[in-house]
Amino acid sequence: MLLSRHLCAARQGSRDGRCLWKMAVMSEQSSPVEKAVLEVTEVKKAYGPTLALSGVDMNLYPGQVHALMGENGAGKSTLVRILVGATQPSGGAFRLNGERVNFHSVSDAIKAGIVPIYQHLTLFNELSVLENLYSFDTATAGLLPPYLGSAAAETAKASLARVGLSVSLEQKVSTLKLGERQLLEIARGLQRNCAVLLLDEPTAALNAHEADRLLEVIRGLAAEGVAILYISHKSDEIRKVADVVTVLRDGRSVICGAPLKDTSVDELVNAMLGHAFAVVDKQMPVPGEIVLEAKQMVLVPGGAPVSFAVAAGEVLGVIGLVGSGAEEIGQALAGARDILSGSIAIDGQLAHPYSRRDAVRRGVGYVPPDRHEDGLFELHSALSNASASILKTVSKFFFLQRKKEKASFSSRFQALALNPNEPDREIQHFSGGNQQKVLVARNLVITGLRILVLTEPTRGVDVGARDKIHDAIVEATHAGQAVVLITTDLEELTSLAHRTLIVRNGQIVRELPQFSSPDDVALAMLEQE
Amino acid sequence: MADLPRYIGRLRMVPKSLWVLVAQFAVFSLLVPNFFAVSNFENILRVSSILMLASLGQAIVIILAGVEFSVGSAVALCSIVAVFAVQSVSVPMAFASGFVIVLVIGAINGTLIAYAKLPPFLATLAMLMLVHGVASLAVGGLPIEAPVSESFYWMGRGKAFGIPVPILLAAFGLVVHYILLSKTTFGRQIYLVGSNERAAHLSGIAVNRIKFLGYVAAAGFVAVSGLILTSRVASGQPNLIPNLPFETISACAVGGLSLAGGRGSTLQVLVGVLIIAMLNNSIVLLNLPTAFQLAVLGFVIIAAVVFQTTPDRFSFLSMRAAFAQKTKPQGDA
Repeated sequence: MLLSRHLCAARQGSRDGRCLWKMAVMSEQSSPVEKAVLEVTEVKKAYGPTLALSGVDMNLYPGQVHALMGENGAGKSTLVRILVGATQPSGGAFRLNGERVNFHSVSDAIKAGIVPIYQHLTLFNELSVLENLYSFDTATAGLLPPYLGSAAAETAKASLARVGLSVSLEQKVSTLKLGERQLLEIARGLQRNCAVLLLDEPTAALNAHEADRLLEVIRGLAAEGVAILYISHKSDEIRKVADVVTVLRDGRSVICGAPLKDTSVDELVNAMLGHAFAVVDKQMPVPGEIVLEAKQMVLVPGGAPVSFAVAAGEVLGVIGLVGSGAEEIGQALAGARDILSGSIAIDGQLAHPYSRRDAVRRGVGYVPPDRHEDGLFELHSALSNASASILKTVSKFFFLQRKKEKASFSSRFQALALNPNEPDREIQHFSGGNQQKVLVARNLVITGLRILVLTEPTRGVDVGARDKIHDAIVEATHAGQAVVLITTDLEELTSLAHRTLIVRNGQIVRELPQFSSPDDVALAMLEQE
Repeated sequence: MADLPRYIGRLRMVPKSLWVLVAQFAVFSLLVPNFFAVSNFENILRVSSILMLASLGQAIVIILAGVEFSVGSAVALCSIVAVFAVQSVSVPMAFASGFVIVLVIGAINGTLIAYAKLPPFLATLAMLMLVHGVASLAVGGLPIEAPVSESFYWMGRGKAFGIPVPILLAAFGLVVHYILLSKTTFGRQIYLVGSNERAAHLSGIAVNRIKFLGYVAAAGFVAVSGLILTSRVASGQPNLIPNLPFETISACAVGGLSLAGGRGSTLQVLVGVLIIAMLNNSIVLLNLPTAFQLAVLGFVIIAAVVFQTTPDRFSFLSMRAAFAQKTKPQGDA
């Protein structure tokens, strides 16, 4: 069919293929063909030798909601950063209303009418709704604040009405609900000259009701003729709100501006993942006795209880979209988060009290998702980073035994191929992949290790380091350890996990067996409730 | 890069402040009359022993990513308690009570910061005022004199093996501090907690306990410094040494400790204290007004910190660090 023909064309990088597809899109549009507000042509971005974007095409039309999809690392964030002027492209062109533009800074992009709305809101919580609506103008205002007078208030009211928000202008933003804040942020953007509204995962932090309301507002704005770029992982949401879709994979637009009504979920998933998977058969052991059991565990007030068990030698995969609660499950298992009710049992024994320190004593390793914030000790050597959890083991009385400390890691570092293998080198002078190896090593050596909880263990890590870390996980299972692998990396998950739990809204909604394909997992994740 | 001669790698470990100290020593020896004399060196060391011990304490807290403002008040209360006590008990017992009162202040600081989660700045600032108030009330605002006694004076003015006792105590303090920080498990935990508290917690380190004990250990060093001063002035004074917190922080900064925590060595503290001590000594030798000291000290802090942080970008030795930073792969694309 048409789509697959296009995919082939895009893979070959043929210009004709691209043009052909654009024409096809145009002809299928029911409304009279308008000129694109924003044309993105062959945009590239290089960071040193690595290409984050290797050729992206995308046209945004007034009155159209354009969805942008792609896996983590496909280049969505880079494209957004370029669109908002936070970074400059290394090649390709932008046209805004037919004119070629070049944003040198974020303020350039704002002046040109690109209005970004991020997941993390940029409102001033201690100021009023009115003051927030005028915060951009305040930045450049003279002596008097721009929000004084009845005219300003009228304009503000009109902007609020446009997004269907009925709150008082004097109310402090901190008293608003999250969904209302999101709408306020949109209203603030619209109050200025807005050519393109750019929404980056706007519903990630919202509940279902708030999300629906937001989608309605977005449809309304499109009907008014605003061009909207909508970035999201959630395919059901995209189906509700978007007209056309562009999919990025490996920094390239593999589908550009295809009408959603003609595109199946399968096609989207295929386009996002590609089929470059070489399924390497990992020799995983047969799981033994149950090691870790979570019973009716509740993590957030009003949340649903979750129960599951992990056996020795088993890798339990856990996957969910951002904000689904998958990471929180990992924190709870590692003792880094209090559980509100329910219990955790290790080897049949109730683990209570269960602080992170208790968990380490019981042999629970934990690799947190954010290695810089939660993992690394900057300015300290790889060795002191690695030994942080076993200081007692490498000490005699009150004194550290450096030789013993070093000896505990020489074979580990070799197995993980730490590069350069200089344990005394400060950790910040290692690449991300090698830093991650050190973090994994820290947990592998925990005395009496029984359980390994790994959250995104290979995020932002090169292929070599990834393989070494995966080997270490396989080796741990053969040594009889239970592994909980929380990741959004489908290939990692499917190649390692014995079972996979799909988490949504803090609940386990499905369990998939071993050897499920990445597509199965992606479908299960994206499928509508 | 790996082919760099080994000694260059070693040189990188030498604190930059040491070069400042060496240069300062050379310049002062040439230009300041009477500076280059054994008796003057002894004088510098004897006078600086108080700042040395208090700065060693301050350094522990700074490595823990904290700060300690109550050291001056603690030393003042220490002098008052010791002088009060010596009127009814023996000198060693009196000094022991002065020592203990400083430890108690350290324990209160530690509790407020580690367990009540107060910011160190605020907690120790409050303790500065609180302890100062208590000290003033205890003596009605006026200094109290210690009865004349050789044994009371020994710690601050005496000699052992021909060396002034304060110098011996400071040297002992340096050794203990070095062992504590770089040889013990506790020392490593102090560095890790100061470097990244969340990561330390997730690694299973008892962060709160380490912070608490860190403030108590710091108080131990401050207490010895307080006792030396008490013995030297032989009186209990509520306004004994109000600038001590700022001088100790300055000494740490000049020595090259990062006020953000997580790094710093005993050697750096030693160097920082000596730079300040030599400076103060030369101002006296040159017959400049003592008010000069503060002004010059302020200037030296700025100069020393600028020297130690900015040239990093240009120095050959740190180029490989900068290179490693630049070649770091970009995170989330």
